[in-house]
Amino acid sequence: MTHTEVDIIQSRPISNAKLGVLVLLGAETMLFVGLIGAFLVFRMGNVNWQPPLSLGDIQLPQLVTGINTFLLLFSGLTMFYSVRSIQQDKILQHHLSLVLTWYLGLTFLVIQGSEWIQLIRQGLTLQSGIYGGIFYVLIGCHAVHVLGAVMWLSIVLAKSLLGKFSSQKYTGVETCMLYWSFVVALWLILYILVYLY
Amino acid sequence: MFCRMIMLLMIIGLVSLLLPNTLDACPACKNLDEPIARGFNWSVLFMMAMPFTVFGVIGGSVYYHFRRANGA
Repeated sequence: MTHTEVDIIQSRPISNAKLGVLVLLGAETMLFVGLIGAFLVFRMGNVNWQPPLSLGDIQLPQLVTGINTFLLLFSGLTMFYSVRSIQQDKILQHHLSLVLTWYLGLTFLVIQGSEWIQLIRQGLTLQSGIYGGIFYVLIGCHAVHVLGAVMWLSIVLAKSLLGKFSSQKYTGVETCMLYWSFVVALWLILYILVYLY
Repeated sequence: MFCRMIMLLMIIGLVSLLLPNTLDACPACKNLDEPIARGFNWSVLFMMAMPFTVFGVIGGSVYYHFRRANGA
Protein backbone atom coordinates (compact mmCIF):
# COMPACT_ATOMS: atom_id res chain seq x y z
CA MET A 1 0.00 0.00 0.00
CA THR A 2 1.46 3.36 -1.00
CA HIS A 3 1.71 6.41 1.25
CA THR A 4 -1.07 8.15 -0.70
CA GLU A 5 -3.42 5.21 -0.19
CA VAL A 6 -2.68 5.15 3.54
CA ASP A 7 -3.32 8.90 3.73
CA ILE A 8 -6.67 8.53 1.93
CA ILE A 9 -7.77 5.71 4.26
CA GLN A 10 -6.69 7.62 7.38
CA SER A 11 -8.41 10.82 6.23
CA ARG A 12 -11.82 9.11 5.90
CA PRO A 13 -14.34 10.54 8.35
CA ILE A 14 -15.59 7.05 9.25
CA SER A 15 -13.57 3.90 8.80
CA ASN A 16 -14.84 0.99 6.72
CA ALA A 17 -14.60 -1.29 9.75
CA LYS A 18 -16.76 1.02 11.85
CA LEU A 19 -19.32 1.40 9.07
CA GLY A 20 -19.35 -2.36 8.61
CA VAL A 21 -20.00 -2.94 12.31
CA LEU A 22 -22.80 -0.35 12.25
CA VAL A 23 -24.49 -2.20 9.38
CA LEU A 24 -23.98 -5.51 11.21
CA LEU A 25 -25.61 -4.01 14.31
CA GLY A 26 -28.51 -2.81 12.14
CA ALA A 27 -29.06 -6.38 10.93
CA GLU A 28 -28.75 -7.73 14.49
CA THR A 29 -31.28 -5.16 15.68
CA MET A 30 -33.79 -6.34 13.08
CA LEU A 31 -33.29 -9.95 14.20
CA PHE A 32 -34.08 -9.06 17.80
CA VAL A 33 -36.95 -6.76 16.76
CA GLY A 34 -38.65 -9.79 15.19
CA LEU A 35 -38.16 -11.86 18.34
CA ILE A 36 -39.29 -9.05 20.67
CA GLY A 37 -42.29 -8.43 18.38
CA ALA A 38 -43.31 -12.08 18.77
CA PHE A 39 -42.79 -11.84 22.54
CA LEU A 40 -45.02 -8.74 22.73
CA VAL A 41 -47.86 -10.54 20.95
CA PHE A 42 -47.69 -13.50 23.35
CA ARG A 43 -47.07 -11.44 26.48
CA MET A 44 -49.76 -8.85 25.91
CA GLY A 45 -52.16 -11.44 24.54
CA ASN A 46 -52.06 -13.35 27.82
CA VAL A 47 -53.34 -11.59 30.93
CA ASN A 48 -51.84 -14.32 33.15
CA TRP A 49 -48.34 -14.67 31.73
CA GLN A 50 -46.64 -17.38 33.77
CA PRO A 51 -44.96 -20.76 33.32
CA PRO A 52 -47.30 -23.72 32.72
CA LEU A 53 -49.27 -24.50 35.90
CA SER A 54 -48.33 -28.18 35.62
CA LEU A 55 -44.75 -27.24 36.55
CA GLY A 56 -45.77 -25.84 39.94
CA ASP A 57 -44.60 -22.54 41.32
CA ILE A 58 -41.67 -21.57 39.10
CA GLN A 59 -40.49 -17.96 39.18
CA LEU A 60 -37.81 -16.38 37.03
CA PRO A 61 -34.83 -15.35 39.22
CA GLN A 62 -35.38 -11.58 39.11
CA LEU A 63 -32.92 -10.59 41.84
CA VAL A 64 -29.92 -12.60 40.63
CA THR A 65 -30.59 -11.51 37.06
CA GLY A 66 -30.91 -7.93 38.29
CA ILE A 67 -27.44 -8.14 39.84
CA ASN A 68 -26.21 -9.75 36.63
CA THR A 69 -27.73 -6.87 34.67
CA PHE A 70 -25.83 -4.43 36.86
CA LEU A 71 -22.59 -6.33 36.13
CA LEU A 72 -23.19 -6.15 32.40
CA LEU A 73 -24.04 -2.44 32.57
CA PHE A 74 -20.84 -1.85 34.51
CA SER A 75 -18.91 -3.77 31.84
CA GLY A 76 -20.31 -1.29 29.29
CA LEU A 77 -18.72 1.52 31.32
CA THR A 78 -15.36 -0.24 31.60
CA MET A 79 -15.39 -0.92 27.85
CA PHE A 80 -16.07 2.76 27.17
CA TYR A 81 -13.24 3.67 29.53
CA SER A 82 -10.85 1.34 27.70
CA VAL A 83 -11.45 3.29 24.46
CA ARG A 84 -11.02 6.59 26.28
CA SER A 85 -7.75 5.47 27.82
CA ILE A 86 -6.26 4.22 24.52
CA GLN A 87 -7.22 7.55 22.93
CA GLN A 88 -5.13 9.24 25.62
CA ASP A 89 -2.32 6.66 25.36
CA LYS A 90 -2.91 5.43 28.92
CA ILE A 91 -1.91 1.88 28.11
CA LEU A 92 -2.07 0.41 31.63
CA GLN A 93 -5.60 1.72 32.26
CA HIS A 94 -6.57 0.49 28.82
CA HIS A 95 -5.34 -3.04 29.56
CA LEU A 96 -6.92 -3.12 33.00
CA SER A 97 -10.31 -1.94 31.78
CA LEU A 98 -10.27 -4.46 28.92
CA VAL A 99 -9.45 -7.30 31.32
CA LEU A 100 -12.19 -6.13 33.69
CA THR A 101 -14.72 -5.97 30.83
CA TRP A 102 -13.75 -9.46 29.70
CA TYR A 103 -14.09 -10.80 33.25
CA LEU A 104 -17.49 -9.14 33.75
CA GLY A 105 -18.76 -10.52 30.45
CA LEU A 106 -17.64 -14.01 31.36
CA THR A 107 -19.21 -13.71 34.83
CA PHE A 108 -22.49 -12.68 33.21
CA LEU A 109 -22.43 -15.79 31.04
CA VAL A 110 -21.60 -18.10 33.96
CA ILE A 111 -24.45 -16.69 36.09
CA GLN A 112 -26.88 -16.94 33.16
CA GLY A 113 -25.79 -20.53 32.58
CA SER A 114 -26.30 -21.50 36.22
CA GLU A 115 -29.75 -19.89 36.18
CA TRP A 116 -30.70 -21.87 33.12
CA ILE A 117 -29.54 -25.13 34.72
CA GLN A 118 -31.72 -24.40 37.75
CA LEU A 119 -34.74 -23.57 35.60
CA ILE A 120 -34.31 -26.70 33.49
CA ARG A 121 -34.02 -28.79 36.68
CA GLN A 122 -37.30 -27.26 37.85
CA GLY A 123 -38.90 -28.38 34.59
CA LEU A 124 -38.97 -25.20 32.51
CA THR A 125 -37.62 -26.25 29.12
CA LEU A 126 -37.88 -25.10 25.51
CA GLN A 127 -40.94 -27.34 25.17
CA SER A 128 -42.79 -25.82 28.16
CA GLY A 129 -45.39 -24.11 26.03
CA ILE A 130 -45.10 -20.64 24.53
CA TYR A 131 -43.65 -19.31 27.80
CA GLY A 132 -40.64 -21.64 27.83
CA GLY A 133 -40.16 -21.41 24.08
CA ILE A 134 -40.04 -17.64 23.80
CA PHE A 135 -38.00 -17.30 27.02
CA TYR A 136 -35.22 -19.62 25.91
CA VAL A 137 -35.17 -18.36 22.33
CA LEU A 138 -34.94 -14.67 23.35
CA ILE A 139 -32.52 -15.03 26.24
CA GLY A 140 -30.53 -17.78 24.49
CA CYS A 141 -30.13 -15.67 21.37
CA HIS A 142 -28.77 -12.84 23.49
CA ALA A 143 -26.45 -15.21 25.39
CA VAL A 144 -24.99 -16.38 22.07
CA HIS A 145 -24.32 -12.72 21.23
CA VAL A 146 -22.62 -12.13 24.58
CA LEU A 147 -20.48 -15.21 23.94
CA GLY A 148 -19.55 -13.79 20.53
CA ALA A 149 -18.74 -10.44 22.13
CA VAL A 150 -16.53 -12.10 24.76
CA MET A 151 -14.68 -14.00 22.01
CA TRP A 152 -14.22 -10.79 20.04
CA LEU A 153 -13.01 -9.06 23.18
CA SER A 154 -10.51 -11.89 23.81
CA ILE A 155 -8.94 -11.22 20.41
CA VAL A 156 -8.88 -7.46 21.04
CA LEU A 157 -7.34 -8.04 24.47
CA ALA A 158 -4.65 -10.33 23.04
CA LYS A 159 -3.80 -7.80 20.32
CA SER A 160 -3.79 -5.01 22.87
CA LEU A 161 -1.36 -6.90 25.13
CA LEU A 162 0.87 -7.42 22.10
CA GLY A 163 0.93 -3.65 21.65
CA LYS A 164 -1.03 -3.50 18.41
CA PHE A 165 -3.11 -0.49 19.47
CA SER A 166 -2.15 3.12 20.14
CA SER A 167 -3.78 6.55 20.32
CA GLN A 168 -3.32 6.76 16.52
CA LYS A 169 -4.65 3.30 15.76
CA TYR A 170 -7.51 1.91 17.83
CA THR A 171 -10.31 1.04 15.39
CA GLY A 172 -10.27 -2.58 16.61
CA VAL A 173 -11.07 -1.49 20.17
CA GLU A 174 -13.66 1.02 19.00
CA THR A 175 -15.60 -1.48 16.86
CA CYS A 176 -15.53 -3.98 19.71
CA MET A 177 -16.93 -1.28 22.01
CA LEU A 178 -19.78 -0.65 19.54
CA TYR A 179 -20.74 -4.32 19.56
CA TRP A 180 -20.37 -4.56 23.32
CA SER A 181 -22.58 -1.51 23.85
CA PHE A 182 -25.22 -3.08 21.61
CA VAL A 183 -25.20 -6.29 23.64
CA VAL A 184 -25.43 -4.35 26.93
CA ALA A 185 -28.25 -2.04 25.78
CA LEU A 186 -30.17 -4.99 24.35
CA TRP A 187 -29.91 -6.90 27.60
CA LEU A 188 -31.42 -4.02 29.55
CA ILE A 189 -34.47 -4.06 27.25
CA LEU A 190 -34.74 -7.86 27.45
CA TYR A 191 -34.42 -7.90 31.23
CA ILE A 192 -37.21 -5.35 31.66
CA LEU A 193 -39.47 -7.09 29.14
CA VAL A 194 -38.90 -10.73 30.03
CA TYR A 195 -38.14 -10.62 33.77
CA LEU A 196 -39.93 -7.54 35.10
CA TYR A 197 -42.90 -6.86 32.77
CA MET B 1 -71.03 -16.81 -24.98
CA PHE B 2 -72.98 -14.05 -23.21
CA CYS B 3 -75.62 -16.55 -22.06
CA ARG B 4 -72.91 -18.80 -20.63
CA MET B 5 -71.46 -15.89 -18.68
CA ILE B 6 -74.87 -15.04 -17.25
CA MET B 7 -75.40 -18.69 -16.36
CA LEU B 8 -72.02 -18.89 -14.61
CA LEU B 9 -72.71 -15.73 -12.62
CA MET B 10 -76.10 -17.07 -11.58
CA ILE B 11 -74.55 -20.35 -10.41
CA ILE B 12 -71.92 -18.45 -8.41
CA GLY B 13 -74.64 -16.24 -6.91
CA LEU B 14 -76.74 -19.27 -6.00
CA VAL B 15 -73.79 -21.05 -4.38
CA SER B 16 -72.99 -17.91 -2.34
CA LEU B 17 -76.59 -17.72 -1.19
CA LEU B 18 -76.63 -21.37 -0.19
CA LEU B 19 -73.31 -21.20 1.64
CA PRO B 20 -73.46 -17.91 3.55
CA ASN B 21 -70.43 -18.59 5.80
CA THR B 22 -68.52 -15.47 6.67
CA LEU B 23 -64.76 -15.41 6.53
CA ASP B 24 -62.31 -12.99 8.12
CA ALA B 25 -60.54 -11.06 5.42
CA CYS B 26 -57.58 -10.63 7.76
CA PRO B 27 -56.82 -13.57 10.08
CA ALA B 28 -54.72 -11.34 12.33
CA CYS B 29 -57.41 -8.67 12.77
CA LYS B 30 -59.04 -8.89 16.18
CA ASN B 31 -61.52 -7.00 18.26
CA LEU B 32 -59.62 -4.03 19.69
CA ASP B 33 -60.78 -4.78 23.22
CA GLU B 34 -59.10 -8.17 23.29
CA PRO B 35 -55.62 -8.44 24.89
CA ILE B 36 -54.29 -10.27 21.83
CA ALA B 37 -55.30 -7.29 19.67
CA ARG B 38 -53.30 -4.96 21.93
CA GLY B 39 -50.37 -7.33 21.62
CA PHE B 40 -50.61 -7.34 17.84
CA ASN B 41 -50.95 -3.55 17.71
CA TRP B 42 -47.93 -2.85 19.90
CA SER B 43 -45.89 -5.50 18.15
CA VAL B 44 -46.70 -4.06 14.71
CA LEU B 45 -45.97 -0.50 15.86
CA PHE B 46 -42.69 -1.58 17.44
CA MET B 47 -41.53 -3.49 14.36
CA MET B 48 -42.71 -0.74 12.01
CA ALA B 49 -40.71 1.92 13.86
CA MET B 50 -37.46 -0.06 13.93
CA PRO B 51 -36.26 0.21 10.29
CA PHE B 52 -36.55 4.00 10.57
CA THR B 53 -34.67 3.95 13.87
CA VAL B 54 -31.91 1.72 12.48
CA PHE B 55 -31.45 3.75 9.29
CA GLY B 56 -31.68 6.95 11.33
CA VAL B 57 -28.94 5.86 13.73
CA ILE B 58 -26.60 4.64 10.96
CA GLY B 59 -27.27 7.70 8.79
CA GLY B 60 -26.97 10.04 11.78
CA SER B 61 -23.69 8.47 12.81
CA VAL B 62 -22.21 8.81 9.31
CA TYR B 63 -23.45 12.41 9.10
CA TYR B 64 -21.95 13.21 12.52
CA HIS B 65 -18.53 11.81 11.50
CA PHE B 66 -18.55 13.76 8.22
CA ARG B 67 -19.54 16.98 9.99
CA ARG B 68 -16.83 16.50 12.60
CA ALA B 69 -14.23 15.76 9.92
CA ASN B 70 -15.19 18.88 7.92
CA GLY B 71 -15.28 21.04 11.03
CA ALA B 72 -11.81 19.97 12.13
